[in-house]
Amino acid sequence: MSGLLEQLSRRQLLWSGSSQQAAYQAVACGYAALDVQLGGGLPACGLIDIQTAQGIGELRLLLPYLQQRLSDGRLLCLITPPALPCADMLAAVGIELTQLLIINVTAGKDALWAAEQCLQSGCAASVLLWQQKLTLTQARRLQLAAEQQQATLLLLRRPSAGLNLPVTLSLELSAHPQGLMVQVHKRKGGWPRAAFFVDMRQRWPLLCVTSANTSDIQRKAG
Amino acid sequence: MQLFLYLQFPSLQLDSLTSAFKPGQPLAVVDAKHHIIELNAEAAAQGIALNMSLGSAAALCHQLELVPYNPQQQQEVLQFVAQQLYQYSADIALDPPDGLYLRLNNMLSLYQGLAGYWQVLSAVLNGLAFHYHFATGLTPYAAKCLAKQQRNVLEDDPVLLNKLLQKSPLSSTELSIDLQQQLQRLGLKQLGQLLALSAAELARRFDRALLSYLGRLSGEFYHLLEYIQPEPGFSRAIELMYDIDDTAKLCTPLQSLLMQLEQQLSRANAVCHQLQLQIRFRHRPAQTLSIGSAQGEYRAAKWLRLCQLQLETVRLSEPAVGLKLHVARFFSQQSATSSLFQSSAQTMSSLQLVSLLQARLGHAAVSGLTLIDKHLPEVANQQGSPLAQRSEVCSALSQRPAFLLLQPSALTEAVEIHSGPERLCANIWQLEQQRDYFIGRNTRGQWLWLYRTAQQQWFVQGLFS
Repeated sequence: MSGLLEQLSRRQLLWSGSSQQAAYQAVACGYAALDVQLGGGLPACGLIDIQTAQGIGELRLLLPYLQQRLSDGRLLCLITPPALPCADMLAAVGIELTQLLIINVTAGKDALWAAEQCLQSGCAASVLLWQQKLTLTQARRLQLAAEQQQATLLLLRRPSAGLNLPVTLSLELSAHPQGLMVQVHKRKGGWPRAAFFVDMRQRWPLLCVTSANTSDIQRKAG
Repeated sequence: MQLFLYLQFPSLQLDSLTSAFKPGQPLAVVDAKHHIIELNAEAAAQGIALNMSLGSAAALCHQLELVPYNPQQQQEVLQFVAQQLYQYSADIALDPPDGLYLRLNNMLSLYQGLAGYWQVLSAVLNGLAFHYHFATGLTPYAAKCLAKQQRNVLEDDPVLLNKLLQKSPLSSTELSIDLQQQLQRLGLKQLGQLLALSAAELARRFDRALLSYLGRLSGEFYHLLEYIQPEPGFSRAIELMYDIDDTAKLCTPLQSLLMQLEQQLSRANAVCHQLQLQIRFRHRPAQTLSIGSAQGEYRAAKWLRLCQLQLETVRLSEPAVGLKLHVARFFSQQSATSSLFQSSAQTMSSLQLVSLLQARLGHAAVSGLTLIDKHLPEVANQQGSPLAQRSEVCSALSQRPAFLLLQPSALTEAVEIHSGPERLCANIWQLEQQRDYFIGRNTRGQWLWLYRTAQQQWFVQGLFS
């Protein structure tokens, strides 16, 4: 039994809670509910796996965190974003556009290569990667590169029951009229908890359903 | 008193190729008339001599490897040698196909005499691995005449140099073969005999070519030499010894070119931003790749990495037979400042990262984002060159989505409108093109940025994320 344990921990498939607590450096992410549930906020470095549908507010959840990470002058890299990122919106939340690097490639292999280069170079504070598939080895490589340079790789993908990847934090987001429902699947040095609600009414009042702003205009087209 | 040094390279083209052949292989260069014009020691040992016809040479040695004479390549190699020597000696003139004139007057005081000068120059020449003969002379032609006899004299004593010149056979002069035979029939075998004759006598019997030559030889006529200027960039080609169709294998010859570039750049304390790498083929026109480094780089290892990444994406239409590296301009080096207290160790700068990504993924794949002071979203958001500094500062509009669809798509599902309208009209005279923007939420909880045209059609243009 102990031989098996040793083998598993050597392959980094097993974490022991006591040693990981110190390794998880949290950065406050701007949403009180999330900070409480994650023991201080999103991790300062490593691989964050986010399973989410598009357009429900996943980027709004991350923006304060991303903006905060840019303060040291490093870059924010967007790799294969689903569409052209809007400069108005990024500038409005205080992201310096000169610190932004957009990489558009068609092949998944190239996207992973670009992500690894960005992380290894030490120029990027955070890298957002929109990619569906990631193997265990690829995730491990990216995780190592990110940890080495104190950077974060945020992997945004559709929810899928796949392999359990070796990540620092794994979240699943689902839509909610007043914000987002967040389910923590896995967190280094912490236990998974029940899904909780992140309130966005204060930061994004226009993008929340309230009785006041629900107008009577409703339309079915097509 | 003027003093010149003439360097003659008897096997320039051959020496530039030799490293690629296996040692001990007899080699010779043949010209268009099938005469041997350059040969190596192994070929000479087999009894082959210069100006021998190809047939006799092949009869003497059947393993003889032949290389066709390439005047253009010979010129390039000669130019390269001259550029290398230029670092140590100021006035150098080319004497195609295989010679260099070096004017020594100014240099001797710098190197404190001929011995000191030669010590430096010979070290460079020996490092270049070309065979050479040399001689000094009081005029360019005198030096050349002595060098042609392979005298290898290094003297600045005019009396001794004159004595050597007097004894020189006519075959080592620049006179035409016909003229030499004419003079020989008159019993003139050495230059001394010719120089002893009076100019008026010679002018009566021979044409002006002889007088002009003798005038320049003795220094009575002025001999104009065109001294080379250092080239502004770097340009050097190599021939590959065998055809290469695998781009990964091209890196080995490329590295030697990049090392030469590094030497030249570090000497000038400069960097370059752009390399033009030309891959030459046997039949097709050459393929040119341009490899850029936004920060500017001089180290061969860094350039090699960028070249490798670019070469990985290139498919050769035909095996390559040659490479040429060309750099148009050098830029002065500027050191980057970095933070002393930063915790993470940056292995490269952001500009270097951009160059690296562009080398493999292509220029268009890497971009930045700029905001332009316009209202229509498709005009206001432009993907520009990465890391470009903003020239104008404009305020961002609020309530904009995270992502913009390049082509607005027609709305085909039920949405709940939550805010709006915001009316945008690009031009006052095109009122029919106005759009009313709304923020809506569909049944799956996605927040969409919609607009309604004047014709009451609905489109989705953005996605709040």
